Amino acid sequence: MTILSNIDTVNNEPPPRKVTFMKAASVLRRLLAGTATRATLAVALALLVTAVLILISGKNPLLAYAALLKGAFGSIDRIAFGFNKSTPYILAGLGVALCFRANVINIGAEGQIAVGGIGATAVALSGLALPGLLLMPLALLAGVVCGAAWSGLAAFVSLKRGVHEVLCTLLLNFVGVLLVSEMLHGKLGEPGAGFPQSPLLPRAIWLPKLVAGTDLHIGIVLAVIATVACHILFWRTTFGFRLRIMGASRDAARYVGISSIRQTMRVMLTAGGLAGLAGGVEVLGVHYRLIEGFSAGFGFNAVGVALLASLNPLAVLPAGLFIGFLEAGALAMQREVGVPSSLVFVIQGLTMVFVLCALGLRGERSKV
Amino acid sequence: MLEMRGIKKAYGTVQANRGIDLDVAAGQIVGLLGENGSGKSTLMKLLFGVVSADAGTIRFKDKPLSGHGPAQAMAAGLGMIHQHFTLVEAMSVTENVMLGAPGSSPWLSPRETASRIRQESATYGLDIDPDAMIGDLPHGRRQRVEIVKAILRGADLLILDEPTSNLSPPEVEGLLGIMARLRDQGRAIVFISHKLDEVIAICSEVVVLRDGAVAGTCRVEGATRAGLARMMVGRDMPPPIAREATAAGRNVLHVGQMALTERGVERLAPISFSLRAGEILAIAGIDGNGQTELAECLAGLRLPTAGGIDLDGHDITLASVGERTELGMAYIPVDRATMSLVTGMSVSDNLALRDFDKPPLSRGGYLARSYFAERAREMSQRFAIKASGPDIAARTLSGGNQQKIVLAREIGRHPAVMIAHQPVWGLDPGATHFVIEQILALRAAGGAIIYISSSLEEVMTLGDRIAVMQGGRLSIPIDRDTVDLTQIGLMMAGDDSLIHGAAA
Repeated sequence: MTILSNIDTVNNEPPPRKVTFMKAASVLRRLLAGTATRATLAVALALLVTAVLILISGKNPLLAYAALLKGAFGSIDRIAFGFNKSTPYILAGLGVALCFRANVINIGAEGQIAVGGIGATAVALSGLALPGLLLMPLALLAGVVCGAAWSGLAAFVSLKRGVHEVLCTLLLNFVGVLLVSEMLHGKLGEPGAGFPQSPLLPRAIWLPKLVAGTDLHIGIVLAVIATVACHILFWRTTFGFRLRIMGASRDAARYVGISSIRQTMRVMLTAGGLAGLAGGVEVLGVHYRLIEGFSAGFGFNAVGVALLASLNPLAVLPAGLFIGFLEAGALAMQREVGVPSSLVFVIQGLTMVFVLCALGLRGERSKV
Repeated sequence: MLEMRGIKKAYGTVQANRGIDLDVAAGQIVGLLGENGSGKSTLMKLLFGVVSADAGTIRFKDKPLSGHGPAQAMAAGLGMIHQHFTLVEAMSVTENVMLGAPGSSPWLSPRETASRIRQESATYGLDIDPDAMIGDLPHGRRQRVEIVKAILRGADLLILDEPTSNLSPPEVEGLLGIMARLRDQGRAIVFISHKLDEVIAICSEVVVLRDGAVAGTCRVEGATRAGLARMMVGRDMPPPIAREATAAGRNVLHVGQMALTERGVERLAPISFSLRAGEILAIAGIDGNGQTELAECLAGLRLPTAGGIDLDGHDITLASVGERTELGMAYIPVDRATMSLVTGMSVSDNLALRDFDKPPLSRGGYLARSYFAERAREMSQRFAIKASGPDIAARTLSGGNQQKIVLAREIGRHPAVMIAHQPVWGLDPGATHFVIEQILALRAAGGAIIYISSSLEEVMTLGDRIAVMQGGRLSIPIDRDTVDLTQIGLMMAGDDSLIHGAAA
């Protein structure tokens, strides 16, 4: 049947040059296959470059890294500290990863954590005559609901008024953080404390310790459960399937009749809930009270963790632990070697850059 | 002024230009006619240096032109006005004209440029304000900015690629006037169009391309629209491929006075037709005349603003995509890369796009992965999808195999009504054959099909009844036995009287 052969032309000539270059690139590509390998390589490169910076400042990088390791893993207490530090990053990072996967750019984790913290505190201090074992989950649930409300607000404004979600989520961060201050100077503040903080929460609703005698609370268990849940949600449910379609192509979503408005709302609520949970865990597990600025930098780290995990929910766990332990070790490095702890941020930043480069090198986004 | 001799160009196995000659003299407007894919755009891209020819010579103003790029083409005095403009909306007319203008001086001279724009505007009756922002200008004005841009860069020969396709009738009048004045000033114009009336109105000579070769060249004085249309379409149609005669089934789809108006623009004039089981209604027409809007209204991606759609006794005018799918509606859109396939997802996922949220593929919101794989294996076999496994990404497959995934998903569930929009676009002959076969098989099995294409040959091969879409209107479908090719060609080229006549 030749009659239908006059097809519109498609330009598909491969460029004849660059053959050797492509061969080299393909070898490199095979070496870099596998997310884990690439992430490890990126971390190694980041440490290497930072070592040069430490050298320039006249300190011994090996000693610095040894101090960093010791600070992170040197004792049970240090390890407990690292896990606690990682928990909110993992929880909030999961939400960010899901959003980014659906092509919804939510950078509002910080505000959602803050408002989640308010919710948890409000319930904890409400004086409800309930046993601690009941009040504690209720407080965490309040954190989830408040975090989801905050992200839902951003999604609503974005969808209803056509404001870009980056702007909505970003700006609501400031509002959320300031809302904490407002609360602490008002209703939730501790009278006469002279410091913007809430009264100490009743001991009965503090998060139980995982290992007696340490600070390690059960937050990390919640984080692991949340990671597995998000993995299943994303890869094994119809909700995740819709997110994957929508993230890959809005036109395809329209074609199969997926409402991107409804899906955006749902994924934002999920992410806000996870961030709100992180806020509640911080309040009930670490500070035992709401304090001003407790969420500072968490939102940025959540985005970093999600990107470091190349938006793969399961990989958020190791990525969050990496960032958490890195920060835990940073103070020790500063104390013992005199390397400023801010260098840790350099390592973090470089790692992310290298991971993203490694992903780019493959020439495509990871599987959707 | 311009001599093109024996121009040849192949893209892969497709011969886009097979030895084309084209002559244009100074002070002459030459019309270049042809269907989509007849080689017009390729020829002009070769002339402008966007792509390079496999064979043939070009002489422009008595100098050979070869191995050139667009910059050299512009420097030599060629100007091209693309269908899609290359203007920055947030900048003024003057700034756009200065943008990328040749010249070695790093300093811009906005005042001088503005005065030159005013001068040329007066000469050719362009009526352009150099200080106006592009974003504030209507489509027709923007086109004039493109023209003045080309003139100020010293273009002696202007190529206008379907310049009237998005213009309103008065704007078309204005453009033809400007073209006449450009001609009278001694410039040459190549006018690419599907619209016979405009070509006859303004050109002195017409070159008709078909299948990458010159089908005919003639003076406009002696030409008739019917003659040109026949030349464009090809006199001898090949014999239709084997198809069983099917008895007319019952009516399954009825569209009544369906219309679509978006942001004050009428996309679809009230459209009515019925479709019977086991019948193919083929809709011909130049791309962009409302076909996508019609298909998306039927498939539920847009909601019509008036009229109704009835599928097998159910009013689906406002039904969701999911409800339509449930009732047996299938849709193959023209855009494979971003719409009917998610190329980053696996073959099995793509096969499940329509019913992943229903048993057995999922229960209670939880996906049953084993069924995904099972379905993929079954469909790959039935539709000869060549993929190394159900889990590999669709993007790694050839265009033909990608379209087979879409076919498997849409035809595999035995739809009552299927809308296929250019389903063989960009496919090689083998895959094209397969797609056509599958569509005919669906027809034989009692499916009702709407086949939309800009290729008359496809339409003639497949259609039991044939209608033409032009300017958002659909002509009354004509039986394949009584269809008059010339008439179809004329209607496609925008002969309003025929469409009105048919619709009355």
